[in-house]
Amino acid sequence: MDFFKSGLKTVLGASEPGQLPSGAETVERLVDRVNNSTLLEDRRDACRALKAMSRKYRVEVGAQGIDTLKQVLELDRADNETINYALDTLNNIMSPSQFEEEEDNPHVPMNIGEQFTEMFIKDPHNIQLVLDLLDEYDFRVRLSTVQLLTSLLTNRTKDIQEIILVKPMGVSKMMDLLGDTREVIRNETLLLLIKLTKGNANIQKIVAFENAFDRLFEIVSSEGYSDGGIIVEDCLLLMLNLLKNNSSNINFFKEGSYIQKTLPMFNTPSDSDDAGWSPQKVSNVHCMLQIIRTLVSPSNSAQIISSCQKIMKNVGLLDALCNILMTSGVPADILTETINTVGEVVRGDVANQDFMGNIMAPSNPPRPAIVVLLMSMVNEKQPFSLRCAVLYCFQCYLYHNELSQASLVQTLLPSSTDVSTLTSGQLLCGGLFSTDVLSNWFSAVALMHALIDNPGQKEQLLRVLLATNVGSTPVSLLHQCTLLLQQTTKLQSKVALLMLLSQWMSYCGAAVSAFLQVPGGVGYLVNQTCSNEHDDNEYLLQGLSAFLLAICIHFNDDSVESYTKDSLKQLLVKRIGVETFTAKLSEVSKHELYNKAAKHPQLRVKIPPEILIDYEFCRLFKVLESVLIQSVSIHQENHSSEDQQPPPEDNLEQYKTLIRQQDARLQELMQQLDGLMQQNNALQAALNDSIASNSLLKDENTLLKAQASAKLPSHHSSQSDQSSQATPGQNSQSSQATANTDQRLSDSENRVQALTLEVNRLTSELRSALDSKQQAEVELDRTKKAQEDMRKDQDDLLELLADQDMKINEYKMKLISMGQSVAEDTPAENELNLT
Amino acid sequence: MAYAYLFKYIIIGDTGVGKSCLLLQFTDKRFQPVHDLTIGVEFGARMITIDGKQIKLQIWDTAGQEAFRSITRSYYRGAAGALLVYDITRRDTFNHLTTWLEDARQHSNSNMVIMLIGNKSDLESRREVKKEEGEAFAREHGLVFMETFKRECLILTMRRMALRSVLSTRRQEALAPAVRVLAVQRAGAAVRCCAAHTERAKRG
Repeated sequence: MDFFKSGLKTVLGASEPGQLPSGAETVERLVDRVNNSTLLEDRRDACRALKAMSRKYRVEVGAQGIDTLKQVLELDRADNETINYALDTLNNIMSPSQFEEEEDNPHVPMNIGEQFTEMFIKDPHNIQLVLDLLDEYDFRVRLSTVQLLTSLLTNRTKDIQEIILVKPMGVSKMMDLLGDTREVIRNETLLLLIKLTKGNANIQKIVAFENAFDRLFEIVSSEGYSDGGIIVEDCLLLMLNLLKNNSSNINFFKEGSYIQKTLPMFNTPSDSDDAGWSPQKVSNVHCMLQIIRTLVSPSNSAQIISSCQKIMKNVGLLDALCNILMTSGVPADILTETINTVGEVVRGDVANQDFMGNIMAPSNPPRPAIVVLLMSMVNEKQPFSLRCAVLYCFQCYLYHNELSQASLVQTLLPSSTDVSTLTSGQLLCGGLFSTDVLSNWFSAVALMHALIDNPGQKEQLLRVLLATNVGSTPVSLLHQCTLLLQQTTKLQSKVALLMLLSQWMSYCGAAVSAFLQVPGGVGYLVNQTCSNEHDDNEYLLQGLSAFLLAICIHFNDDSVESYTKDSLKQLLVKRIGVETFTAKLSEVSKHELYNKAAKHPQLRVKIPPEILIDYEFCRLFKVLESVLIQSVSIHQENHSSEDQQPPPEDNLEQYKTLIRQQDARLQELMQQLDGLMQQNNALQAALNDSIASNSLLKDENTLLKAQASAKLPSHHSSQSDQSSQATPGQNSQSSQATANTDQRLSDSENRVQALTLEVNRLTSELRSALDSKQQAEVELDRTKKAQEDMRKDQDDLLELLADQDMKINEYKMKLISMGQSVAEDTPAENELNLT
Repeated sequence: MAYAYLFKYIIIGDTGVGKSCLLLQFTDKRFQPVHDLTIGVEFGARMITIDGKQIKLQIWDTAGQEAFRSITRSYYRGAAGALLVYDITRRDTFNHLTTWLEDARQHSNSNMVIMLIGNKSDLESRREVKKEEGEAFAREHGLVFMETFKRECLILTMRRMALRSVLSTRRQEALAPAVRVLAVQRAGAAVRCCAAHTERAKRG
């Protein structure tokens, strides 16, 4: 404060003792001085005083001084000190945080900084002014400018992002500051860029284009990767901003081989290392894991995910992550996040899932990593978030992979019982029937994921038998689940079992009939559906029971006599009613936690009671809901219209009519075919007849010809004879007929010859055309080759020219260095014209 | 993948002239954006080999719409080259070339290579801009010109462009140490000579 007072004194002159001017008055006089002083020193001193006052009297300084300060930025650019005071004052006025000095001043509104920011950016030119100051090399000015921009962005992120975006050099200038050798400026710039890139895809792309990833990795590596300080964290936060929801940048990150560069981040500290996991290192690694997850997040496009996953496997990133899992002494939250990350890196990629399935944990005896993970999932003592992460990772491991699903179920089947080793199946069964509610839920959901879209495993799982008590007969897993559903009083266990059974029995008639055979199963569902409790969770239970009941109807294969499709439907209509049924079903999707779960494959819950519904179950529910309602309600219409006879299931009825129709049509077609066959036979006979008659006529014709030729000479000889009148007439008639025939014969012969000639001519023409085409092709090939050669030559020449160019330049340099003058004629230009 | 050089190119030109299509053709469909209208910019990459050296080309395809013009400007400075594209079946896209060129020259650094591309030359029947006109424009503004619609042509174009970038880079690399030595030895003379050479490098 002494400094402040002495500053005031120099500016204002000594005031009369006892009559101290109020803050507002002082500010007014200072602003006046800045406006009107002609001496630079006076303006500078006034600015310094304003800066000193701007913390305590922020409202006054802001209200009166903001325009003046803008002017200073414009007019006094030559004087770094004044500029620096003005920038600091502006920064104080618009600071988003509250100052100590103004804490006891009730007149300062909470968002005062934001209000002044709004005033300041009304004229976008002001931002340009500040951006221009970034060109100033002076340390203080540059630092204050960066800080001011950071404050502005904190207050009005969206507006200022838009303004900066349309300044062609805006983002580039800030990016340049990352290369500033003065670390303070570089670090402040990082903070500025983090604010700048938040939620604006276009700015993110420009920043990436300006080599952001390269520069950030340079900084990260120079700071010692994960062992570095908070600067590493800032760099990673900026990277995270650039990649989040920005597929274009993710693509760039992948294509630019930056995934490889993340590897050194995951070097785990060795046991002998004293430093171990410092809090900063935990934050750094956590950020890096977030970046990896952003690349393979299930919300990205499938193409991006799978190519990133492949790269991560190939460069050894997956290996490094799994290493962290198996290392001892890793802090719990890093472990949790690593498990989540590994999950997303393997999700849906068979090669990566295989890789994960084959990892062995360094335990004694060695166990598969999956088993070790599941052990923590069903262990009450493990942290809740870790157990959730294991479930997610396990779900990812099973996702779209029939082999891993099958191998899980395999571990439960009697054939493979090897009592000595612990298997994932045994762990899940243990969890399913343990007294810990969360274990029940996790295990049921994990088991459920082994059945998704996999009818084979649904049937395999039916074969699983459990020995509940020593000596008693073993019961099936499904049976045991159904019993447990009726016995348990815990909401989460019930919901989990209902979800498991729904997934299991959907699209699987065998599972439905197995369920129907369990005593009390159907009765329990009906009772649950009918129950009339009023409570969100009760509604959910009723809805889920209704859902399972409808599955029993829809996928029923009528193999259980007491509960056929029709009898169950009648039961539902009579006991529950279609209206009530539909209403109860719709309750499920109204539940708050259902909607939460449906949003993302990963469970995002903070406390154990929030665990209730699984993402994949939501998908199943969405697909089946309308189908089930339709299947139940259509049945009702049929039921009312055809009351007498038991109405067949709708689908079946449809098929039956279809088959009947097709049958009729088939009959019709067969008849048609018969008719046609008969017709065909008749025609064939007629044809044979006509052929026969034809040959008969031919014979006759030959006979007649022979007769005619025989008679012709005799006719000649007897021409002189005066024979009877009739004979010559007859003869001439027959000879005339013969001549006609001959004439026609020769005619057609001629024609045939002419045609043959024509055909020959055309054939030869065709041949010659083909020949010429071949020639042309050969010619074309030659030309192509020549063109290719010429192109190569051209490239070689260009190369040569480049080398020549360099040599000439070198020689020129030498000449110049020896003091010779060189002609300005440049071969470089000639070369350019050539290209 | 190791590479000897890395160049960033941008594709500019009016909306609908086929910029994104050029990018797709060039990057061998390895990267396929779902939308048909580019928003902001999109990215593609490809390796080519010149003289046995691997050269990585990063290509940034910008949006042609006026609304994105100010965003596009941010990309000029960092780019080693630009493909300026027009559509030979649309006269207006040719008429706008001057504006694009001014924009590029104003915001880029001076040794950016610009290549003029008349796109869609397969649609000869609907041609509105003669090939000679394109050639004349290119000559007048010192650009390299090419009409194309095929992948092969495009790759050839890119090779030419990359070659120029390589030459220009080498020239700068060759100049840099010499100039520094001179600056130490003979301060006065060096300034003149340095200026002359930078001038030359810029023109290349």
